[in-house]
Amino acid sequence: MKRVRDLLRPSATPILSVVTALLVGGIVILLTDFDHLSQLGTDPIGAILGALGGVADAYGAMLFGAFGDPGRIMTALQTGNAPDIAKAIRPITETLVATMPLIFAGLAVAISFRAGMFNIGGDGQLILGALAATIVAIGLAGKVTSPVILVGAIVAATVAGGLWGFIPGFLKARTGAHEVITTIMLNYIAALVVFFALRSPSLRAAGSSSPVSKNLAPIVDVPNIISLPAIRLDYGFVVALLMAVAVSWLLFKTTKGFELRAAGFNLTAARYAGMSAGGSMMLAMALSGALCGMAGGFMVIGTVGQLSLDLSGGIGFNAIALALLAGLRPSGVVMAALLFGALTNGGKLMGVQSGIPFDLLFFIIALVIMFVAAPGLIRGMWRIKGKPATEIPVVPPAGAAPTPDELVEIEELP
Amino acid sequence: MTAAAAAQPIAGEGLAARRALRDARIRGVAFVVLMLAAAYFASGGMDTPAKFSFWIHEQGGESAVLLTSVGILWVVAAIASAVVAGLQFLRGAAFRWRRWLLVLIAPWITALLADLLGGKPAILTNVVGGSLELASPIAMAAMAGILSERSGMFNIALEGKMLIGAFTASVVSSVAFIATGNVLLATLVGITAAMAAAGLTGLLLAWLGIRHNVNQIIAGTVINIGAVGITNFIFLRVLQHNTELNSPPSVQPFNLPFLSDLPVLGPILFSAKPYVYVGYVLVIVLTYMIYRTRWGLRLRASGEKPAAAGTVGINVLAIRYRALIFAGLISGLAGSYLSLATAGSFQMQMTAGKGFIGLAAMIFGAWHPVGAFFASLVFGFADTIQSLLSILGVGVAPQLLNSVPYVVTIVVVAGVVGRVRGPASAGQPYEQG
Repeated sequence: MKRVRDLLRPSATPILSVVTALLVGGIVILLTDFDHLSQLGTDPIGAILGALGGVADAYGAMLFGAFGDPGRIMTALQTGNAPDIAKAIRPITETLVATMPLIFAGLAVAISFRAGMFNIGGDGQLILGALAATIVAIGLAGKVTSPVILVGAIVAATVAGGLWGFIPGFLKARTGAHEVITTIMLNYIAALVVFFALRSPSLRAAGSSSPVSKNLAPIVDVPNIISLPAIRLDYGFVVALLMAVAVSWLLFKTTKGFELRAAGFNLTAARYAGMSAGGSMMLAMALSGALCGMAGGFMVIGTVGQLSLDLSGGIGFNAIALALLAGLRPSGVVMAALLFGALTNGGKLMGVQSGIPFDLLFFIIALVIMFVAAPGLIRGMWRIKGKPATEIPVVPPAGAAPTPDELVEIEELP
Repeated sequence: MTAAAAAQPIAGEGLAARRALRDARIRGVAFVVLMLAAAYFASGGMDTPAKFSFWIHEQGGESAVLLTSVGILWVVAAIASAVVAGLQFLRGAAFRWRRWLLVLIAPWITALLADLLGGKPAILTNVVGGSLELASPIAMAAMAGILSERSGMFNIALEGKMLIGAFTASVVSSVAFIATGNVLLATLVGITAAMAAAGLTGLLLAWLGIRHNVNQIIAGTVINIGAVGITNFIFLRVLQHNTELNSPPSVQPFNLPFLSDLPVLGPILFSAKPYVYVGYVLVIVLTYMIYRTRWGLRLRASGEKPAAAGTVGINVLAIRYRALIFAGLISGLAGSYLSLATAGSFQMQMTAGKGFIGLAAMIFGAWHPVGAFFASLVFGFADTIQSLLSILGVGVAPQLLNSVPYVVTIVVVAGVVGRVRGPASAGQPYEQG
């Protein structure tokens, strides 16, 4: 028993954070259930039970939406009927589909955090990457073979996202402009650029009044892992996992990665040691943006198949939560992305079945970040004793970072 | 750093002096480029008329008309650029160029506006008045930012607090209006509730940052995401089906007695929505309080050197708590403007980055209330121009026009306009012994 507890201890805070956040979310659902609560005067027990039932329905729908019905999967597998299997395992594969961009974006946030930069611009980098992929795919359609378009689109997405991420990194290194403000502004600008680009008749879906691009599936599609009808899971997910390995290798096994982490840990010390702090910032932000751009590319030519303004749906913000939850470790990012993918995918069914707006998830996610970032809060709430087993690496306060002038002064030291 | 170096003549051949001189030359060249650009535009615009009018006493009444040509406005801009460039080269690093920049910006913007309008008349009273009004939530957000950062706390959460303020103001004011039927009372109750809600959010931010030592940017992000989540959720789950809960009485313009009778200036400055006046008062009060009172000195000490402030017996943490709560109150007021005075109801994510733009105004205004106020005017102006141009149907895509405030924000924050130094210890946790 003791051994089990020791094993669980390192993950206690993250798990309890998620559980507590879901509980608070449940309370919010409860408190806004006016249909039931209005009967509180006449039938208090019925009202409370009804409202609690509403919460249970909502979270039940979320669970089924994320993982499907195990019994149904078993029977479907026994019969061996392809459409049945597809229908039964679809919730799980959809969870993985939702996980794919979250892995990319979570890795992106982890890289930038490790280098002491706070990339909130994931949404903008993602959608701009998606735009680049769309333009390349439509531009090359019919001119070259589909695998070439595939590679070209992903490369374009990666480069576009990388450039969009490089801008705040460059501005921070050269002028000290705070990356939180610049990345947020670049998010708005990216959305407007995409909106503007989608006015063009060559990109826009024919006859559509809303700004969506043509369907890209006939031009290029990332090959599926399982070829069953209505299953969207494709090799983008595998690339995401490979990227987690690559980022892990980069951060912990290469000199560049060491420099990135050193810059994040103590910029001044890194500078004294002869590392280029500004270079690390720019590299980290460019890599971060590139990963987000890649996510956008894989979404638009793979799982989603179409560029629209709400393609991202807050992935950039979810990524912050899951990267913190993962303790900024790439392996942890994959696990946390699976959890968030399940929440996202389940949240959609929750919205459809029980009418609970999907946006509740943003609130829950904010709570998760809060609890993970303030472990004392969760430990006090659940009365956990002892020292926290895992320290979440904390980004150094940006105010502590030397300004470019100070950096120059450091450079000039004998 | 550069600001301090550029402000005074530097003797000696230190690195800072060399850098300052180089920067000065680069600025000079930039001003010359601006002059050449203005001269080039002037040559093409001599025949296009530019018609600006001002209301003298009231909207729709008598107006004073200024009729000139686009080319002449560009000539003025070119002359202004030439003067600033000349002064820059003459005085070198000692040139206090930041205030001269205003001399440059004003004619440039006027000429640019006239050029974009391409001969269509524009009522400047509405443009300036509109800028003032759209600037007021940004200015208030900037004031909240100044209070927080002067005390040593980053306040990325302004956006979220404004959103919560906008939401609370709309709902509470609607309910109060249904209950009492009194417009003034309902509005005041709504605004008070908005301030209280945002103030509590400020307390949460302070508590996370100080008590739990959460990185202040992460804490701010928590509040921003959480505010979007909870307001969207309640909007979709409750307000969408019960629109009576989201139809507050709207705040109307109010003519200040006597002052609004001033010719030309009255209609611009003193016939606006009350938020604008609150903005004026806030700027004056905060400037006085930060620079002329004991409380202000302690506030600044906590932000610059908390350890020293703590040593002389100042309760740094208490000051930071109070500053963040106060900042919350102000951002709640700013948020209530959005739902009560512009849209007439709460809309999802209606802040649209205003909180962050407020932070940019704070930086542009060098953490000083007066500077931040004028900086907010620039953003308010960008907003007004964008809507004016899209109404007039000028040949620029509306999406590109909409991105102007955001681009301006990046340019400002990146300090192309000048690098200024904020409070030295902003964002750093302080352990009180």
